Amino acid sequence: MTAQEITVVDSRARFAPGVLFELVRYRELIFALTQREIKARYRQSLLGIGWAIAQPLAFMVVFSLVFSRVARLPTEGIPYPIFAYAALVPWTFFSNALTTATIGLVSQRSIVTKTYFPREVIILAQVAARFVDFLAAALILAGMMVWYGVAPTLWLLLLPVLLLILLALIVALSLITSALNVSYRDLAPVVGLGLQVLLYLTPVAYSITSVPGEILPLYVLNPLVGLIEGFRSVVARGQPPPWDLLAISAVISFVLLAAAYAYFKRAERAFADVI
Amino acid sequence: MNSRIVSERSSADGSASGSSNTVIQLDQVSVRYRVPRERIVSFKEYAIRTLQRRVSHDEFWALRDVSLEVRRGEVFGIIGRNGAGKSTLLKVVARVLRPTRGRVRVWGRVAPLLQVGAAFHSELSGRENVFLNGALLGYTHADVARQFEEIVDFAELWDFIDAPLRTYSSGMVARLGFAVATATQPEVLIVDEVLGVGDERFREKCQARMSQFSEGGTTILLVAHSTPLVREMCTRAAWLDHGVLKALGDVDEVANGYQGAD
Repeated sequence: MTAQEITVVDSRARFAPGVLFELVRYRELIFALTQREIKARYRQSLLGIGWAIAQPLAFMVVFSLVFSRVARLPTEGIPYPIFAYAALVPWTFFSNALTTATIGLVSQRSIVTKTYFPREVIILAQVAARFVDFLAAALILAGMMVWYGVAPTLWLLLLPVLLLILLALIVALSLITSALNVSYRDLAPVVGLGLQVLLYLTPVAYSITSVPGEILPLYVLNPLVGLIEGFRSVVARGQPPPWDLLAISAVISFVLLAAAYAYFKRAERAFADVI
Repeated sequence: MNSRIVSERSSADGSASGSSNTVIQLDQVSVRYRVPRERIVSFKEYAIRTLQRRVSHDEFWALRDVSLEVRRGEVFGIIGRNGAGKSTLLKVVARVLRPTRGRVRVWGRVAPLLQVGAAFHSELSGRENVFLNGALLGYTHADVARQFEEIVDFAELWDFIDAPLRTYSSGMVARLGFAVATATQPEVLIVDEVLGVGDERFREKCQARMSQFSEGGTTILLVAHSTPLVREMCTRAAWLDHGVLKALGDVDEVANGYQGAD
């Protein structure tokens, strides 16, 4: 028996970086919960995985009507549907992942109060399930590029880097909102409202070139600005991303992730108690 | 209470195999729940009250200074009334709750059976739920795949295994949950009043499997309201009352004390 693993639960234990190794051990659980999330969401639904595509597509149609026909926004010669959709795909991922992850811990109450596992597993699984939606929506984008004759360039190879930063930002914010939502159940509508406002403060429907210069210094502090413009650049424009803006996004996202993770692990102790 | 633990420990040391036989050790464990005096669930309310310094909590100690050791292969019973802290004790051992004070040490893998089937999802099929529940218990997909036939055999659910779980009866869910949790022999098995569900024949089947595990070296922590079940299954027991350890030791002595107090 002595050679066996010993679990010590001490009231005085503090946050240790060792928890990251623990996460590796629970990768099978992340995978299983992701699968469950996807299956449970799309079984017994009319459109199935089509929902993943319907949302950004609907926004694209509306944006095309309003911003390209009515407001006649400049799009640098790119067909507006591609211009908007290339930004809507990462935005929808961000928005949906944050929305579901915020209520993630509370909706999984039954397993949180019954078994032990690192609680961030739930958050990672929620985000991963939304990532599958993202991939489905991205396939449509590929189809649209063929349709409109937008040729991809080598800059497209930067997509994984952009995705990594976007994931860091999503996970960071989700860790914070989900932990807060355990104590304050009305955080979900707050997040919903915040996302609606944020959509207008992010260059999704319009290009950053339309933003007046005097508010730019403040505007670019939104970490989504560099990311969304980055996605649009490498996909629709076939150009390098705005490096300076992307650097701001990366720094904010990763610093936030470290802080959020430390906060989450501290808050985690009380979850089974309060939830 | 402390002297009792010391004597326990020395008797364990005196035995041939020594104290390395300890599998679960609670060292002066206390658990405090903080219950807000009025339930504040909205962020705005909380912000206002914090500013007014009006956030007040009632403290409630679910466990106070509980020390006990459970040895390898023992079937250890925990008895007490509702709200005595039995479930809290199990949660602390299962790592679901962290003690407010004190320390818990567990040697080996714990398979919690707290309310069987809690981790199940009603829209998924029995088969999918088996894999999901297995993952929650820390098994790999390959582990579960290897055990799958035996799990369904034990639960006797071959006819329904691909039907969504919402079509199952509560007894069927309980059978599946027990079958998954006990598919491979864990070092520590936690059983929280789950034997109340399912019919008589299945309960006997579960008891048989638990006895077999216990002979194979598994330590079983059993919570029950009914003292007959504890007397039948356990060798030693602890009696909790309002979070305090009232008695600890031979199951009959403890159960007699508990029944005498009623």
